[in-house]
Amino acid sequence: MDRVNPQPRRRDPRTQSPAESSSDELAAGSDHDEAERRRASWTLQKGITPLRPQKTGRLYSDSESPDELAVDADEYWRSSRKRNHRRSPSPIARPSIHDDLSQGGSDDLAGDDVTGSDENRASDADNWTDRSATPLAPPPPPKPEHLNYKEKFVMHGHLRGVSTVQFSPDCSMIASAGADATVRVWDTASGRLIHVFEGHLSGISTLAWAPSGDWIATGSDDKTIRFWNVNTLKAHTKVFDGHHNYVYQVAFAPKGNILVSGSYDEAVFMWDVRRAQVMRSLPAHSDPVAGIDVVFDGTLIASCALDGLIRIWDTHSGQCLRTLVMEDNPPATCVKFSPNGKYVLAWTLDGCIRMWSYVESRVLKTFQGHVNNKYSLSGCFGTYGPRDVIYNPPLCFAVSGSEDGSIIFWDIVSKQILQRLKGHSDAVLCVHTGTLRGKRMVVSCGADKTVRLWEEVNENDTGHDDDEFGDATPTPESHSQKSTPVHDADGDDAMTDVSAVPSTAATPAEDVTMT
Amino acid sequence: MNLSLVDPFVLAQEYPDTLTEKLSSGHATCLSFNHKGDYLASGRVDGTVVIFDIETNGVARKLQGHTRQIQSLSWSRDGRYLLTSSQDWKCILWDLKDGSRIRTVRFEAPVYIAELHPFNHLLFVASLFEDQPVLVDVSSTKPIKRILPSAPLRPQAPSGEEVDPAVAAKQAAQDAKHSTCVTIFTAFGNHIIAGTSKGWINIIETQTCTTIHSMRLCNGVVILLRLASNGRDLLVNSSDRVIRTVLMPDLSQLGIDLEPSAIKLHVEHKFQDVVNRLSWNHVTFSSTGEFVTATTFMNPDIYVWERSHGSLVKILEGPREELGVVEWHPSRPMVVACGLETGCIYTWSIVSPQKWSALAPDFGEVEENVEYMEAEDEFDVHPAEQVHQRRLDQEDEEPDAVTLDMVKGDGDADGVEPFAMPVLMDIEDSDSGEDVVAVGPGTMRRKTPGAGREGVNGDAEKPAANGSSRGTTRSRRR
Repeated sequence: MDRVNPQPRRRDPRTQSPAESSSDELAAGSDHDEAERRRASWTLQKGITPLRPQKTGRLYSDSESPDELAVDADEYWRSSRKRNHRRSPSPIARPSIHDDLSQGGSDDLAGDDVTGSDENRASDADNWTDRSATPLAPPPPPKPEHLNYKEKFVMHGHLRGVSTVQFSPDCSMIASAGADATVRVWDTASGRLIHVFEGHLSGISTLAWAPSGDWIATGSDDKTIRFWNVNTLKAHTKVFDGHHNYVYQVAFAPKGNILVSGSYDEAVFMWDVRRAQVMRSLPAHSDPVAGIDVVFDGTLIASCALDGLIRIWDTHSGQCLRTLVMEDNPPATCVKFSPNGKYVLAWTLDGCIRMWSYVESRVLKTFQGHVNNKYSLSGCFGTYGPRDVIYNPPLCFAVSGSEDGSIIFWDIVSKQILQRLKGHSDAVLCVHTGTLRGKRMVVSCGADKTVRLWEEVNENDTGHDDDEFGDATPTPESHSQKSTPVHDADGDDAMTDVSAVPSTAATPAEDVTMT
Repeated sequence: MNLSLVDPFVLAQEYPDTLTEKLSSGHATCLSFNHKGDYLASGRVDGTVVIFDIETNGVARKLQGHTRQIQSLSWSRDGRYLLTSSQDWKCILWDLKDGSRIRTVRFEAPVYIAELHPFNHLLFVASLFEDQPVLVDVSSTKPIKRILPSAPLRPQAPSGEEVDPAVAAKQAAQDAKHSTCVTIFTAFGNHIIAGTSKGWINIIETQTCTTIHSMRLCNGVVILLRLASNGRDLLVNSSDRVIRTVLMPDLSQLGIDLEPSAIKLHVEHKFQDVVNRLSWNHVTFSSTGEFVTATTFMNPDIYVWERSHGSLVKILEGPREELGVVEWHPSRPMVVACGLETGCIYTWSIVSPQKWSALAPDFGEVEENVEYMEAEDEFDVHPAEQVHQRRLDQEDEEPDAVTLDMVKGDGDADGVEPFAMPVLMDIEDSDSGEDVVAVGPGTMRRKTPGAGREGVNGDAEKPAANGSSRGTTRSRRR
């Protein structure tokens, strides 16, 4: 099997802005462009420089020639890739994902055929990184086609449905809260209950760990937000009182000095955590605000409401910078920034999770396959794949619960379902990812009153049956990067990146449904 | 992450125009931003140091240890350590992780200004009131003080030639009259720039504590020296009512490309108010060094000059009181200044109007009417399924949701481990009700912002309210 594109290329973080990569694929490029492109790729192939990220980044968004406008997009991609492939018989150094698409279907279990470029890869890694590539490299596995999370603990204790769950920033603890108005803190390693915080007067819809890991903030249907200290196991003396209706979701700014809350009263409040006072109210929505998130550097806030609008706010000025909306305004129930803050993931009650590029106000991906028309489900991003192999782009999944009791992982590039976890006997309301001692984990909670911890087990055990991955329409890209394992020194940090982003998990308490 | 969304015209604006906030916690007399620009330290007349969180405009930490007015504040590069100097003859180095004092250094005189070495938080220079400036090494618990010379460097007498004892004696007498008013480190900390009471600028090597260059800049006392962020532009405020910008040679090249004898300081601009003959309370560079800002004596105005032509571009107005210390945010167009009478901290920044098109995604803002061109297929009706499916099929990009974009000019580029100050949940309870109420209108007038009288006046508020006699209680109470 000829692998076109296993050659590594150090991923430049500046590689491609979404704007570059997203230029209309059907737009006409010129032949001149194509020539130049090839030239560039040849330069790269000679190993002269893997720089010029702009060039390579644009590769796959350029068309070959104007006349292809007529061709159906799908068809076009297949054909153009084949042509491309023929022209460049030897491995090309660009990350070009599309090249191997033509063989995409048959590339599973590849392994061996990629080794040819191994020396290349190793030397390249040495050239471009300070520490040499981890010596685990031979045989570099192709992009995994599924995940293998297994249930580790089932934590019973909540008396009613559990609406929200979240790992602590260091993932050593798990906090969960729900309709029984209690917050329960669990030990991740043993699954044991550490403490129960009681004080809210009605069901809790949302919780967020402060970035320092000392405090948990919870928002409840009693209209208040309360803080709980995990070290002293005491409640904060100040109650964050100000919302006129159920508090739906809260999120911390990365420094922990600001808490943002969204409420059924249609307001978004920014709280000064130190003073326990509202420092700013965002004139946000005309329907209950169901989702709130803060980007990793704290400069942007995303909010979404049942009116279907997703708004992006400037934290500093408090102004709305963008509004995202689908035409038929399905109620938006949860919103999460991607780990690098470029995209937002939005759950809507039409059974879709959409990934938006908010800069371009455009949907990049639609994830389907779960059931969601009643509850406000919540999930988050995560990374997968072997740590010692660097993929470009890094392998990233979106995970969400489903009202049929399963947890679903999607690859964010191919939109394929990577795994469907079954275990909960009722709707899974909230899912959160984390890493403890190098183990990737997922914690979930649901209306079946349980909190479940799932751990990724060694991929070697995975059986290679592709049957269950059929339903998300495989786009031409579906197998795209499976054959482009690329080394990079900072790859193993990928998961840290993800878990470092404070992603709050929240859904309404059991008795508040979204109908 | 917000830069791609913010109106470029707002981003292009380089200096602030509107009074936006008023921070108040006691009577502040000096201010300093940390290097990242998220915290503002303020020193009060009662010796308390209050650190404001610029994002919430709330108090992030209070440091209590000084008993008299704070004279200067200096942050370490990573924002973890803060050096304060006070009229109580002490300098304290604080660790902001827990608010503890790392070192307390006593001097024989009140401290004018103390500044931390840019890369070593255990080394600082202090200029003292009517005393020799010192370089203090606090790496051990017992501080090591080295006295810095104040006398200007005289041209060396040719060797072999006898120096006339009368001339030598005269020179010595003259040298003795020099006293250093302000000392700062250069960008790399290898040298110290000192300004003297006779208007001289001395460049002193940190390693050897010897003067390598001297230059007479003006006749008045050098009140304040500041370096721009590029480390090459020096701002000098002197008592002759002229603010000078001075271009410095690259001192890091000293011994490589540059001989000490070849050092030349070149005055670039002289900013003054010729008409009113205003004198300047305090001066600062803007974050980029393109602008020079000064507060005026007896006036509630802040002047902003730009440096390319040396012209006045803006007078910031707002408060009704004379302003003392003025500081420019290290990255944003934002100016803070503290009022002399009330001790409030005023901030000026840019207020951008809400773009209403951001609220309604279907609309755009246009300058003039645009005739709408209907697209050929605009009203074509497609089955919903088909539209949906086509949309799904077009989602064929390869988004990277993990990799961070490098931001140009990121503060962490120089390898400083970022320090996150813990968020204190009970900061408001630590002390309350101590905020000094504004004194009667127009009753006070002070010579310089840092003069001793102010501290006494400000201090007097509380003991008097307590009904106890002023002089005796004051020192004990703190």
